[in-house]
Amino acid sequence: MIQRSASVSLQRVLLAVLCLGAIHQTAPWPGIQAVFHVLLALGLAPEFRSPLGGALWAAAAGWVMEGSLRMYPHMGGTALANMIVCLLMTWTLSHWPPLSLRHYWIRLGAFAVVHLLLVHGAVLLAAGAHGWGTGPAWTLLLLPLWGTLAFRLYLPHHRD
Amino acid sequence: MRPRPWGWNSSGRRRWAILLLLLGHAFWIFMGRGDSGHWQRMLGVLSAPSRAVSTRWMDWRRNRAEKVENLDRAAEDLKRLRGRVASLETAALRNAGKIREADEAIRLLGLKKLLPLEFKAARIVANVRKAPFGGMIIDQGEDLGLVQDQGVICTDGVVGRIWSVGKRHASVLPLDAHNASTAVMLERSRATGVLQGVEPGQAEIRYVGSQELVQVNEAVYTSGLDNVFPRGLLVGYVSAVHAEDVELRIEVSLAAPLDRLNLVLILPPSPGMELQLPGTPESKPGTGASK
Repeated sequence: MIQRSASVSLQRVLLAVLCLGAIHQTAPWPGIQAVFHVLLALGLAPEFRSPLGGALWAAAAGWVMEGSLRMYPHMGGTALANMIVCLLMTWTLSHWPPLSLRHYWIRLGAFAVVHLLLVHGAVLLAAGAHGWGTGPAWTLLLLPLWGTLAFRLYLPHHRD
Repeated sequence: MRPRPWGWNSSGRRRWAILLLLLGHAFWIFMGRGDSGHWQRMLGVLSAPSRAVSTRWMDWRRNRAEKVENLDRAAEDLKRLRGRVASLETAALRNAGKIREADEAIRLLGLKKLLPLEFKAARIVANVRKAPFGGMIIDQGEDLGLVQDQGVICTDGVVGRIWSVGKRHASVLPLDAHNASTAVMLERSRATGVLQGVEPGQAEIRYVGSQELVQVNEAVYTSGLDNVFPRGLLVGYVSAVHAEDVELRIEVSLAAPLDRLNLVLILPPSPGMELQLPGTPESKPGTGASK
């Protein structure tokens, strides 16, 4: 079990709440919204004390994202994909902690691609065909930014 | 004893919760197909501020794009108009001489219709009036039947007389030449005298008795006594009067712009005709050659 101080956990919860609000409020700008969404699902949620908490935050990010987009007739696909990728990320971080920032970036990039495919697959199953948008491009383009933020501020498992 | 991973302990309960969460979502996706409208409406209400900001942002971008487009269009128009103005200015400069000459010709035509004389028109091709013994050269000569001492006038006043005649050219002795003499009279006193050139644009009247009353700005006309000009053509205006022993020395500013002349009218030889002088004393400079 990962042991962390209460202040670190509280800080993470506050940041997750802020990120969730940002996902909701940046709905008019889908590129930025996608970055916040991936930051919460892949950068913040896997770092929570319990995998259950991380999965819940990831699911919340998916629901808020889909709800704010108001595009899909039937929602839930993004939340399911978020939870799966978040749990996978949690598991890989606990078993193979990244050795450096560059390794963390590479892992995040790979999971971002998996997340993208999984989200679109789940949304395709849930709501049918839909547009991809420019969100993935923004996400990968700004990976050094949000990846570094997640790595330095929230301490991956191996640093505890 | 090691706790069972999927048993009813804290770790196991978390595992079951995660499994239920995943299965619930999967069930919702594949089986649910329920209406998500309430959830979307709620989030829509909450996202009103960001949508308002987004609307303002998009409006600002659209307005800015329109302004930039308008500015670019205005710059292109300005460039095109500048080019057009430049070409028009060039054309105006190119045609300025012709226009000026045409205006002068129109005025000469009016003067020709006004005066009951047979005029001949000529163009001044050279103006060396300020040179010693200089004068003006016109493009008509014996081929047009010109002879010496024919009067030359323009729309503003008397210019001079023909001094010598060549085959195709003739020289004109202007009024302000030192050797030019013209019979003139004053408008108010009707005193007559002889106008002699002093300097460019200036002449003076001789042989006017000191008892005559002459005023500055008084008009000076031809008297017709020299048999070159008919009586009553405008010569100039009195600019100064100096009383000497027995006569007045009257300085006159010539009415005709001798430096800027292009077209002139040539009077018939010995016109011998008296033109009607106006009785109005309010005559001002530049009102015409004939009164």
